[in-house]
Amino acid sequence: MTSTSVEEKKRGRKAGSGEMYTWHEGMDWNPVEKVILERRSVRKYRDEQVPEKLVRRVLEAGRFAPSAGNSQPWRFVVVRDRDMLDEMEKYVRLRCRVLKFMLDWESSPLGRLSWLLAQAYIRLMPNKLHPIPFGAIRLIADGKLKLFHGAPTVIFILEDVRGVSKPQVDIGICGQNMVLAAHSLGLGTCWVGFVELFKFGTKWKKKLGIGWPYRLIEAIALGYPVGRPDGMVARELHEIDWWEGGRKRTVF
Amino acid sequence: MFYLAIKEILTIPTYNDPGTCRAGRVVIDHERCNGCGDCALICPGACLYVAGVGKDRKAYMIDKAVPDCMSCNDCAAICKRGAIRAEHGYDFGGFYKALHRAEMVPPRNF
Ligand SMILES: Cc1cc2nc3c(=O)[nH]c(=O)nc-3n(C[C@H](O)[C@H](O)[C@H](O)COP(=O)(O)O)c2cc1C
Repeated sequence: MTSTSVEEKKRGRKAGSGEMYTWHEGMDWNPVEKVILERRSVRKYRDEQVPEKLVRRVLEAGRFAPSAGNSQPWRFVVVRDRDMLDEMEKYVRLRCRVLKFMLDWESSPLGRLSWLLAQAYIRLMPNKLHPIPFGAIRLIADGKLKLFHGAPTVIFILEDVRGVSKPQVDIGICGQNMVLAAHSLGLGTCWVGFVELFKFGTKWKKKLGIGWPYRLIEAIALGYPVGRPDGMVARELHEIDWWEGGRKRTVF
Repeated sequence: MFYLAIKEILTIPTYNDPGTCRAGRVVIDHERCNGCGDCALICPGACLYVAGVGKDRKAYMIDKAVPDCMSCNDCAAICKRGAIRAEHGYDFGGFYKALHRAEMVPPRNF
């Protein structure tokens, strides 16, 4: 059993009571599982900077992520200046406005043309213009969804495109290592895919040093959450094929 | 092995047409909701708002044919009173048809 510190109790976040490095059926969540399952994306942060040492500690969790061929194809850029983050936010919002003007057939003055453009681009980029990010572009353009949600620290993760095998997978693993470490240390995080729009222009690519062989993949917003956003929730079950004893079963 | 018919693969749903798209949807228990507004504050889809005064102050889901709800349940996680939850996942159909999914359940400690 892990002992619960007074500080954790005060914050109402007990460590998982299940033991580590062992399993028996139906046991309580252990502290690692608890952090994994309770982590939620945090979209409202307190206006209080995270201590430098704490960010450094989170970055250490990233440094020790597994990577294909141990190629460690990442580079971190940490930004902690309010002005800079605000400017980035404006930059992305402007680009979302342009995209909305071109592609959002509901509101675009281009009318029918925007419908045709959207239909063409959706087919060319079915992932990037999936209905969810398509909606998010509109929300960011309208100021209803923030980019960094007011987080005081943002970690940008660059990919070294010369990495072994599938470097973007390594970026994801590295980032999630940091995210989970951050939550276990009392911080909140949110992945920010919309930094993708930095590529429409040179300003931030220059300033952040994003040039071959580096490519900006994702950013992670980091800070102290407002309220208690972490907690377990329900999610869809996924059908799993299970081969054993020479036949296939379906489990959920 | 084909999981989608050719017709489905070629059909891009019209994102604002409830006839082809099922967005996420939340249910709010107004008995429990005290209108604190935390859910509305953090909803990434800007799908929630609070209205009313005093005891009648409650959260509501916006009235939109296809809201930007992605059933993330972050509203459920932040709600102190367990008054809100996503009812079902989203399924935009056609090319984006959700495959191999079942109902939403919390973590199970096998
Ligand atoms: C690669 C990646 C990029 C994301 N980009 C954004 C983003 O730009 N803005 C945002 O609000 N959330 C972003 N998210 C957060 C997801 O919306 C969130 O993880 C998902 O809704 C599940 O909710 P949960 O993280 O609370 O479990 C991103 C998540 C991932 C994994």
